[in-house]
Amino acid sequence: MVKDVLVKKSIKDIQKALPQFISIFVMAAVAVSIVVGLDSLWKTIDENAKAMYQTSRLSDLWIGIMNPTEQDIWAVNHIEGVEETEKRLSLNVQTDLKDSPTLRLYTINEETSLDRPVIREGKWEESGEAILDENFAKSHGLKLGDTLSIKVNERWLDVRIQALALSSEHIFSIKDSTTLMPDASKYGFIVVDEDKIATAYGGQKIYNQINVRFAEKYDPKAIQESIDTVLGDDLIGIMTKKDNRSIQDVEVRIEQFITLSRVFPFMFFFVTALITLSTMSRLVEDQRNQIGTLKSLGFSGKSIIWHYTSYGVYIGLLGAVVGIYIGPLVIGKVLINQLRNLYVMDSYKMYLYMPNIIMGSILIVFCTGGVAAYSCLKIQEETPASLLRNKPPKKGNHVLLESIPVIWYKMKFSHMLIARNISKNKGRMLMGIFGVMGCSGLILGALTLNNTISGISKTMYEEVYSYDHIAMLDDKTTDKDIYNLHLDGVIQHMQESGIQILAAGGERRMARITILDGGSPLLHLINMQKQPITVDKDGIVLSNKLAETLGVIQGETVKLKVIDDSYQEVVVKDITYLVSNQGIYISRELWEKMGERYKPTSVFIKWHSKDRSFLQSDYVESYEAVENQKVSFEENLKIVYLSVVLLITFGGILAFVVLYNLSILNFFERLRDLATLQVLGFYKKEIRALVLVENLVSAIVGIFAGIPLGKLITDIIIKGFGENLDLISQVSKLNVLIAGVITFIFVIIVNLVVAKKIETIEMLQSLKSVE
Amino acid sequence: MSFITFEDVVREYKVGESVIRAVDGINFEIPEGAFTAILGQSGAGKTTVLNLLGGMDFATRGKIMVGGEEVSKMSEMSLTTYRRNIIGFVFQFYNLVPNLTALENVQLAKQICKDPLNPKEMLERVGLGKRMFNFPSQMSGGEQQRVSIARALAKNPKIILCDEPTGALDSGTGHIVLKLIKDIARDMNKTVIIVTHNAPIADMANCVIHMKDGLIREIKQNHTPKEVEEIVW
Repeated sequence: MVKDVLVKKSIKDIQKALPQFISIFVMAAVAVSIVVGLDSLWKTIDENAKAMYQTSRLSDLWIGIMNPTEQDIWAVNHIEGVEETEKRLSLNVQTDLKDSPTLRLYTINEETSLDRPVIREGKWEESGEAILDENFAKSHGLKLGDTLSIKVNERWLDVRIQALALSSEHIFSIKDSTTLMPDASKYGFIVVDEDKIATAYGGQKIYNQINVRFAEKYDPKAIQESIDTVLGDDLIGIMTKKDNRSIQDVEVRIEQFITLSRVFPFMFFFVTALITLSTMSRLVEDQRNQIGTLKSLGFSGKSIIWHYTSYGVYIGLLGAVVGIYIGPLVIGKVLINQLRNLYVMDSYKMYLYMPNIIMGSILIVFCTGGVAAYSCLKIQEETPASLLRNKPPKKGNHVLLESIPVIWYKMKFSHMLIARNISKNKGRMLMGIFGVMGCSGLILGALTLNNTISGISKTMYEEVYSYDHIAMLDDKTTDKDIYNLHLDGVIQHMQESGIQILAAGGERRMARITILDGGSPLLHLINMQKQPITVDKDGIVLSNKLAETLGVIQGETVKLKVIDDSYQEVVVKDITYLVSNQGIYISRELWEKMGERYKPTSVFIKWHSKDRSFLQSDYVESYEAVENQKVSFEENLKIVYLSVVLLITFGGILAFVVLYNLSILNFFERLRDLATLQVLGFYKKEIRALVLVENLVSAIVGIFAGIPLGKLITDIIIKGFGENLDLISQVSKLNVLIAGVITFIFVIIVNLVVAKKIETIEMLQSLKSVE
Repeated sequence: MSFITFEDVVREYKVGESVIRAVDGINFEIPEGAFTAILGQSGAGKTTVLNLLGGMDFATRGKIMVGGEEVSKMSEMSLTTYRRNIIGFVFQFYNLVPNLTALENVQLAKQICKDPLNPKEMLERVGLGKRMFNFPSQMSGGEQQRVSIARALAKNPKIILCDEPTGALDSGTGHIVLKLIKDIARDMNKTVIIVTHNAPIADMANCVIHMKDGLIREIKQNHTPKEVEEIVW
């Protein structure tokens, strides 16, 4: 059987060049596993979140409006593209539990069909009272049938827990800007029957939100403008999905992983193709005579091409299969487990993204099989006779350096040889540089990312904020109260709330606004040049990231929606750089000039004495120590550290595989030359240097080329953090050095392995015949 | 005592289960400055002798002395040094480094030796003064072999070993190469050992060691060696 013979030959060929074929396989498997793994990650979040949005019938936007009239609702309902509207009350309430955690209260009635909680346990009936956040219940040991007290409109209401549930609006459950990590024991949601809540308002049903769901494919921007028009002064603000912290965060995270899974694997596919090219070209070159023999025996060109192509195809397929298997298992599982702490979803069923599994597999088979085919096409054009003839001896070539005799003739011969070799095998050199560049780039990216992130909690909580505690004030507490308390320490109170901001370009956001009273002793805003700035009556200060999102620059005017009034124009006086807590800063003076009232909602305190009794008083609703904020901030970024480890691992594999291949190829190709040198009396260490210096050259060039790549990788990942974090990556010299050293260690390890091979040179065999 | 002595030298190779004796207990002596030929058919063990003498292979048993030193007892490291300083090789297939020019190939030797000769002069001596900057691929076989001779000479070795130096050349070119080897050896007083399967070539040597099946069949002193021009093969 003709076929069997060729198959046997393939097996023997592969055995002979096993390390190279294993590297191709490893690269292929890594490339595919990254694509499939990262895809499984975002796909899992995406699908499960979407499934929740669908079951709960998530609204497309929420209109903030105090007690909307029937006319208001009718008007919104008749805006083109609006499919369904519903009103509800939505506000934060205190509970009587330990540490008085906060719950987000939503009202519900028998007919509620939008933004319904996803019931996990128990049943919601018409006469029912409350549905509680499942995780919140768990962390407080609450069960079905238990009663919980909540404070609504200054009155304590006892509600019975009838069901436990999850909410689409609380997948990423964050109370406000002071917290960054979800903590189910401190914040959750509760859905209570509107009749029950009405009892706290003397039997009157109160609403402050209209939930709006669009018909399929409607432009939210046009609808928002219409809402603006029809509601006029009654409108408080419009919250879109982009303004919803939970939905937005999920969205951003998905985007981040999509970007990663698109950009990151490319390097690995590319390198797979390069390794295949060099291995197969070498193999085909080595087997010229055999190919000639097969041809002269009457094998068709096609069957010979397929013979060589099949090496690549099978290895590529094998790599793809293994990659598809381990991608979700390793990358997917590990990262998804991290995400479980961040995102509360009904199900964490793993989803794979089929299109990319197929695309990735095709691409990898193309990178191996296609490249293998390409490497033997060249030889196909030759006649069997010319193939059987020995290949003319390799040509030497002059290099540019020779035109400078002063340098050239001062060089050692081994160095001349290296220079000539490099210029001869430019492709291979390039591959080595790419491999090392990938490695040092990934490591540098990982380190820079690490630096950028570990620096920010420090900047945030030591430089921008200088308080010990932040206290959220009770609704009744006024600025006079705080003044009269004569607290022993530096005090800064402020009002924080949401406001509709509209840029000249039409971009709008429901943004966080902070109203500052007088000086700002505990909040230190800086501009992009790191100079301190003040907030005064001349205009507002926008955080850089918000300004970018809105497309606004310093000196321009924006519109702010004043409650019960129309939009007011204000000048953007300054842009401030804030890592987190993006938003608007305004002075009390300007705020009141706009016709608003100032009522402090929170206070920063830097204590002088040890007396902390204020925090336990009725003036305070909740408080947080700066250390805890710092910790939770860092927790939130933990997933990034994990990706850092992954990046470094992949970088190592990349460098190792590429350099090992390269050196082995270099070594075998020059076996005869090296043996000659050995016969002439070159010591083994001199011969080693000859082969390995080439690695060092590509290592050094690669390490430098990795610097911009590292910056690029960091920027891509940073961009994925979304609108809340404003990070600026800075490649530090120390990190370049560390990445360089780590890469170099990889290079040295490869060199040691290759050096072992050099020990095995058989002088005698290499002298016998022409190749 | 002679410059080179082989005493009961045996070289065995293990091929799977069986043991092949390439050299089966041979004895010979070569004085300094002599032009010796080792003659024999392929498989006679002559190349093994050359490799043993060149420090490229280890003897299984026996004693090899060169210039008062026992080569058969040297470590790999000292064998390398020995090859560096004592031996010059001329190969059947030239074994030039393709990536270096003719001159650089000769200079290679200069880089590693204690007392090298001027590479340019050596190339001029072999008649390649005008082709110094050519790469091996741009030269004919005879020219390449001459570069190889120049390289061996530039090391200023005590012994020049030639393994079938004309094996890959036509007879005209072969003559030129042989004459070169002989003339230079005489002028520079080098000990030359040439391995060949061609009986006529052996006629130009002072001494012919005839080998067969790993044994020395005959050592013949040739008091009237023929001139290269007289040889026909």
